[in-house]
Amino acid sequence: MEKLRICGGKRLKGRVRVSGAKNAAVAILPAALLTEETCIIDHLPYIDDVKVLAEILSELGAEVKLDSNGKISIDAADIKEYRVHYDLARRMRASYYLLGVLLGRFGKAEVSYPGGCEIGTRPIDQHIKGFEALGAKVELEHGVIKAYADKLVGNEIYLDVVSVGATINIMLASVKAEGVTTIVTAAKEPHVVDVANFLNRMGANVKGAGTDVIRIKGVDKLYGCEYTIIPDQIEAGTFMIAAAATGGDVIVDNVIPKHLEAVTAKLLEMGVEVIEGEDSIRVIARGRPRKVNIKTQPYPGFPTDLQQPMSALLTIAEGTSIITENVWESRFKHLEELARMGAKVKVEDRIAIIEGVDHLTGAPVVASDLRAGAALVIAGLIARGVTEISNVKYIDRGYEKIEEKLVRLGADICRVDSNGEIHRLKLVSSR
Amino acid sequence: MKDNFQETTMFKIEKEPKDTPKDILLTVFDALKEKGYDPINQLVGYFISGDPTYITSHRNARAIIRRLERDELLEELISFYIEKNKDI
Repeated sequence: MEKLRICGGKRLKGRVRVSGAKNAAVAILPAALLTEETCIIDHLPYIDDVKVLAEILSELGAEVKLDSNGKISIDAADIKEYRVHYDLARRMRASYYLLGVLLGRFGKAEVSYPGGCEIGTRPIDQHIKGFEALGAKVELEHGVIKAYADKLVGNEIYLDVVSVGATINIMLASVKAEGVTTIVTAAKEPHVVDVANFLNRMGANVKGAGTDVIRIKGVDKLYGCEYTIIPDQIEAGTFMIAAAATGGDVIVDNVIPKHLEAVTAKLLEMGVEVIEGEDSIRVIARGRPRKVNIKTQPYPGFPTDLQQPMSALLTIAEGTSIITENVWESRFKHLEELARMGAKVKVEDRIAIIEGVDHLTGAPVVASDLRAGAALVIAGLIARGVTEISNVKYIDRGYEKIEEKLVRLGADICRVDSNGEIHRLKLVSSR
Repeated sequence: MKDNFQETTMFKIEKEPKDTPKDILLTVFDALKEKGYDPINQLVGYFISGDPTYITSHRNARAIIRRLERDELLEELISFYIEKNKDI
């Protein structure tokens, strides 16, 4: 099993370029199956989730060419398969988007219950509610979600909870349905807008994405297109937090500052300097940050995906911070690992109380999910001594070239393979 | 061979658009069109949601549109529309 080894205490300094948004990519790639023409998608993060998804699309019969520069070509002209088996679906949470896509294209879909990070119960009842409202019959049999419809007909769908997954899945299923579909209480996250943009580039008629009401007028046919994915707000936020945590001075390039307003606001509250450029953000930190309280919310609130990285920063803040996790029920597992590094934390239900300490100390720790892994990386960068993070597979699912990017910023981080051999990146140039 | 480095050279630098609502809207409109989008659809999406995801990064349009607040751009559009149509 691979590990990341970090020798902490180095101040991050320099520029880092953010990759394409993972959460947009995992919905846009399946969406390319809605047309028989070729889609070319650029600025993808070359991460495990994207590689797995490319494999799944290939297994379904699409001709897929993915290159390591983040460009993919998907030709789904000949796909006949509408079933996604357990061994593929379990490898990523976002495999559930194939339900909406295959239902939209073939009027039938069978997808094994999805896998993904364990951060609490993640029901897909709102997705199913949406499909049923469009006229599909949906049943769960032997761990497989089966959806069938003679034809899908637009409807008004009121989501009981704000769900990014359900909003996107209903958009995917209804884009070729008869009539108009309206999603009320839709999620407003940037990747919902990115998916809507992609669908519109394919010839769909989706309006209102980014607000809480989305209207989709069904069209008969979708076409191939070229599309560029937006920058990853979570990766950007992770580097901003890492810069703040190490007392660093980092310019995070290729970002949409608007998407990071919640993080920026909290860092400013902590006494960190944040300077917004047109497509970059500079974070300058000196000394220990001040305590701050965080409540995770759907966009534009503070993103749950950055709660864990932020908690690592709060372990060394001056004073006691309170985090309320309003989105997922089990997203504090990483705090036990942070406690091993000297953090003073207490968890009660969905609330974590973090009493800032002067410093953390390096320790062997285990990543329990993707963003927990990011939190441990930040903790390792802060800590005195060596931190070894196991279960790196989670981090690789969502962060492209994380070691390389951190090494360029001055971090002392390397990968240790399953034989215990150390792989230290040698940088040819500073950029 | 003559050393051209000694001679005066003309550089052509692309002008940044002025930060007037008109220039911003036209620049963004052209950039969206060039990338194959329906510019009206994208601009409407931006105005109602405030999300710059609607605006392409092509020709720096995503940054350019944020040089003015949405209300300032909308004001220009509505004023222009009313001005053009009030006597019809």
